[in-house]
Amino acid sequence: MASMKNIKLRIKSVQSTMQITRAMKLVASSRLRRAQDRCMRSRPYYEVLNKTLNDIANSNSDFSSKYVKKREIKKILYIVFAGDRGLAGGYNANMFRMIEEKSKGQNCAFLPVGKKAVEYFKKRQREIISESFKVAGDLSVSDCFEMSRMVCNGFLAGEYDEIQVAGTKFVSVLSQVPQTQQLLPFTVQEVEGDREVILYEPNTEDTFNAIIPEYIAGVIYSVLCESTASEQGARRMAMENATNNAADMIESLNLTYNRARQSAITQEITEIVAGAGED
Amino acid sequence: MAAPFHLQIATPDGGVFDGQATRLICRTIDGDVCVMARHTNYCSALGMGEARVTMEDGNVRLAACMGGMLNVMDGECRLVATTWEWKEDIDLDRAEDAKRRAEEMLAERDRMDDRDIQVAEAKLRRALIRSGVAKL
Repeated sequence: MASMKNIKLRIKSVQSTMQITRAMKLVASSRLRRAQDRCMRSRPYYEVLNKTLNDIANSNSDFSSKYVKKREIKKILYIVFAGDRGLAGGYNANMFRMIEEKSKGQNCAFLPVGKKAVEYFKKRQREIISESFKVAGDLSVSDCFEMSRMVCNGFLAGEYDEIQVAGTKFVSVLSQVPQTQQLLPFTVQEVEGDREVILYEPNTEDTFNAIIPEYIAGVIYSVLCESTASEQGARRMAMENATNNAADMIESLNLTYNRARQSAITQEITEIVAGAGED
Repeated sequence: MAAPFHLQIATPDGGVFDGQATRLICRTIDGDVCVMARHTNYCSALGMGEARVTMEDGNVRLAACMGGMLNVMDGECRLVATTWEWKEDIDLDRAEDAKRRAEEMLAERDRMDDRDIQVAEAKLRRALIRSGVAKL
């Protein structure tokens, strides 16, 4: 049996770990709330844009924007959102596993967002188009517009034939699912029923082409918001589990400690009694 | 007095305005437009410039509006902007600062590549609109 002193030390160390994980859980909870607020606020923006783009594409039968046209896929660009830090359960690992599956056998380039993503693709020596989005936590709307401009220009210049964004969808606090979404070429959803007659100025195509970068920035921003919320959610869960585990460990260590103490006392008594009996 | 219509202004950071207005003037990629009640269904992309919203009580509010989209559907007007700053929220000192910085950058344009020049020019344009609106 381990000595009482060793057990005592171990209990202390588990206790301090538990304090840290509990603090991290609280921090993640409050950040999660903030991230969820941001999600909600940004939602109307891209919903309106998405609807308008579909309306435009549907209202014009000989519509041929360069953003919609499909071409032979030679190279795919993935924008990958991951966290800046670990200790978030499977958040980063799940993301990378999905990306590996999706991009298997494809000729692709990556635009990593977040420190973990940059490190991951660098280590595997994949093609990275920019490292300017290293800190996912600091990104703002204007960074998303910068990203949007970058990928749109790349698409128009023919550098990439398809652009996918990979983020983690926030389903609930308990579950976050990594998924990809196609940004370009823009897929038009057919609208059922009669179309509204709308006046477009200067014309449908110019309007469409001017709105597309805005829309893409909107989608990127919403994916960013969802991913941040997911990261905090995953971290909260991981830290909660860690705190519970630590509590269990302390309980069983306490039991062992008490047993050790008891047996030490018993042994002492036995020794005294045995000593007294010899007279 | 002109009839009011429902105007909604949204940005990625959240809704800015949701209520009744009698007139909206803003700059699209095709020039300035004015929306009043019973406007036809309309859609255009926004440029960068000054915007004016006339409220129901006749007050005119000014704002700096950059990029996005203007949409009128069945009498409802939706303005989705990249950034929308009311005149009273604009920090004039900051805008002037940004303007100066952009000008300094552009002063050395010979040593910059095309992309940097574009970014600096866009910054300068935004700063000019902001300070222009704030001074009105």
